[in-house]
Amino acid sequence: MSQIQERGSTHVYKVNKISKEEMESMVARCVYEHPPFCSAACPLKLDARAFLEAAAAGNFRKALQLYEKIAPFPLVLSAGCEAPCEGKCRLSEIGDAVAIREVESAVARCGEASKLGGIFRSKKRKSTAVLGSGLFALFLAGELEKKAYPVTVFCEQDSHESWLRVCAPFLGDEAFAAELKRLKGKDIQFEFNCTLDAVFYGEKRASFDVLCASDEVRAHLFPESNPVPELMFCEAEKFVTGKTDGVLGAAFGAKKAALTVDRLAQNLDPRNTRGQEGTVESQLYTDLSEAKQLSRVPMTGEGFTREEAIEEAGRCIQCHCEECMKSCAYLKHYKKHPGLLSKEIYNNTQIIMGDHQLNKPMNSCSLCGQCTVVCPNGFDMARVCHLARQNMVSTDKMPLAPHEFALLDMLFSNNEAFLARPQPGFETCKYVFFPGCQASAIAPETVKAAYLDLCERLEGGVALMLGCCGAIGDWAGRYEMQEQTKKFLMQELSKLGNPIVIAGCPTCRKELSELERTETVGIWDILLKLGLPKGGHALERPAAMHDSCGARGDAQTQAAIRELAERLGCELVDTPYSGDRSPCCGYGGLASFANREVAAEMTEKCLERSDAPYISYCMACRDRFARQGRESRHILELVYGTDAGAPPDISEKRYNRLTLKNGLLHELWGEEAKEMKLDYDLIFTDAARQMMDERMILVEDVIAVIEGFRQNGEAIEDEDGLLVARRRVGNATFWVKFSRTENGFLVLRAWSHRMRIEKREG
Amino acid sequence: MAEKNYYTIDPQGKLTCVKCGVPLVKGKAKFLYLDNGFPVELPVCPVCGFVYVPEELALGKVASVERALEDK
Repeated sequence: MSQIQERGSTHVYKVNKISKEEMESMVARCVYEHPPFCSAACPLKLDARAFLEAAAAGNFRKALQLYEKIAPFPLVLSAGCEAPCEGKCRLSEIGDAVAIREVESAVARCGEASKLGGIFRSKKRKSTAVLGSGLFALFLAGELEKKAYPVTVFCEQDSHESWLRVCAPFLGDEAFAAELKRLKGKDIQFEFNCTLDAVFYGEKRASFDVLCASDEVRAHLFPESNPVPELMFCEAEKFVTGKTDGVLGAAFGAKKAALTVDRLAQNLDPRNTRGQEGTVESQLYTDLSEAKQLSRVPMTGEGFTREEAIEEAGRCIQCHCEECMKSCAYLKHYKKHPGLLSKEIYNNTQIIMGDHQLNKPMNSCSLCGQCTVVCPNGFDMARVCHLARQNMVSTDKMPLAPHEFALLDMLFSNNEAFLARPQPGFETCKYVFFPGCQASAIAPETVKAAYLDLCERLEGGVALMLGCCGAIGDWAGRYEMQEQTKKFLMQELSKLGNPIVIAGCPTCRKELSELERTETVGIWDILLKLGLPKGGHALERPAAMHDSCGARGDAQTQAAIRELAERLGCELVDTPYSGDRSPCCGYGGLASFANREVAAEMTEKCLERSDAPYISYCMACRDRFARQGRESRHILELVYGTDAGAPPDISEKRYNRLTLKNGLLHELWGEEAKEMKLDYDLIFTDAARQMMDERMILVEDVIAVIEGFRQNGEAIEDEDGLLVARRRVGNATFWVKFSRTENGFLVLRAWSHRMRIEKREG
Repeated sequence: MAEKNYYTIDPQGKLTCVKCGVPLVKGKAKFLYLDNGFPVELPVCPVCGFVYVPEELALGKVASVERALEDK
């Protein structure tokens, strides 16, 4: 019985840095958080996607709140904005861009204004003044009021009306009236009828902390001054001002100027800590295939009515890149885009003290690589999770529990169940057949038929190697175990004369091709060359081909399997996500051991693609689909006319491997293996057997407990007269509830725990 | 309050140690895992010290404490 050393203590304080740069470059590939193209093109950074979503839902109050964030006077901005957002709208590539500006205008007209602001808001201490008129002055006064600065406008006009008329002469009557009301409602002080000359400036200068002005006033007062456009600031004169162009230009200028005022008010250099201003580049990927309404909603009047605006906003396809989350059950389960999940998993590896809350998510990825294929930027979640697992192992923080059963199974495959023999009559062989541990566990008859066929039809001798390729150690991040496995397999291959490995499983082929001096080929390629053996048959109904994640990126294997199926006479139906885009069945990456729930969702994701029976070329896929009740066959079962039948439970999988090995040893090599035979009856109820399968308790664990009881007689008897015995096996204590029968025992229940338990004195 | 004690021991003493032929009693025991220890009270044989971990305890509290420690 093999054993794996449990992690010694939780009090291990070791950190092994994964290169932060590498992790950051991996995370940067995810474009989920990139802004949509409309927002990226807006220098004011309107969240146009959220704005249109709210408008489409008829929630104009929310839409207006979003718009007011960038526009203190929404009707002024929407009336004259040049709308660069529309030019970048992805719909413009296949139809009309969403008429964002017109929707803004309708929202500004129909939306209920926010009740924020007003005179009751606490104000900042530093006072500001805006001299002059014009769009820039208007927007700047609005921005400063929004930032809660006491702001006073000094202008030559004699009233709010005349000032607003000069600032936004293009407004229609209704819009003018609405914006005038808005202006009067804002906490902005006015001094009308001012003569904005040097004398006036000299008088006011000392009364305010920050002075701002329109470009006309600046040109009049300081004709020689030269404002820095990025800051909207004349340094020598300490004057916030600048030239702007157009409505959007004025609004953007006012935004920059307001930030400069912020910095100056805090006595800080206006150049620093300004953040990202203006337009940005976005690499967001958008799937345009689901866009429906490509034509702009017609306008019945001068602008959209409320209903028309709702309909037009509803044309927005809400650009989001969720390609991986659409196809991957794992990412969908955790509801996190891979950029964010990767960051969290990276942080999980760097925790020295405290809870590693991302252990389960890190171990739940199937490492199948589908995300890398479906992601427009090739994001590799498998690499992130795999590196993180290795890192956790190297710092002795990786719990053994989620992977122990699978790792022990790998050791079982390469110890008790391992077999390496040259073909009878040969000392070394040209080939060795390596069916893979799952094939021997699930379909031993098929493995036997395939081996006998290869021996008969290939020249140069075909050796047989029953074992595990090491993928399990690799998936668990146990790089040392994987290395040991590789070393062991290389020694065994060397004894056979380093033959060409004929792999029965695409994952084994991938793993074994990494061994030095090892040439590999898939059994499917050999069968195509040799032709089909007798006895094969097709499925009676059209079937869906499920591509193995081990064959991702391997077009030759995918094509060879289809060719085999067609030669057999199978009719294949098309499914979404096939070939390189195929999802994992839930076995890959040991997901089914670490997180049964996510693995079940993965299986479901595979099966929802078609109602047809499934043909696969990985035994684990075959097994998981059959366990879900779907008719599921491995391509080799069809080739050899065998039927592995109902999926075996965990104990039968071990039993099958041993029986296959011992049977072949006897039949082909005339060797007799020692079989452990119990000299008493050991019967399991169906409920017990099912319970053991769910709880990962093997028949041999139960035997160990019963054997222990037979030796030391230690057990308790409960009120129903049933016996309960226990035994520590490896890192777990197994408990078995049983009754005595005439010639042995009837097992009724079994459970286990990993904690050790001792009697305590005092 | 039963929650704090991991397990409420059946006061009737219906469990018997097969080897010693005596009823199990409420006794002192400890759980040990990953270099951490917890004192608990469980049914124990007063003669040989056999400590009984019932199924519901193993699958419930014990399993959840195991998970929590594994992620430390």
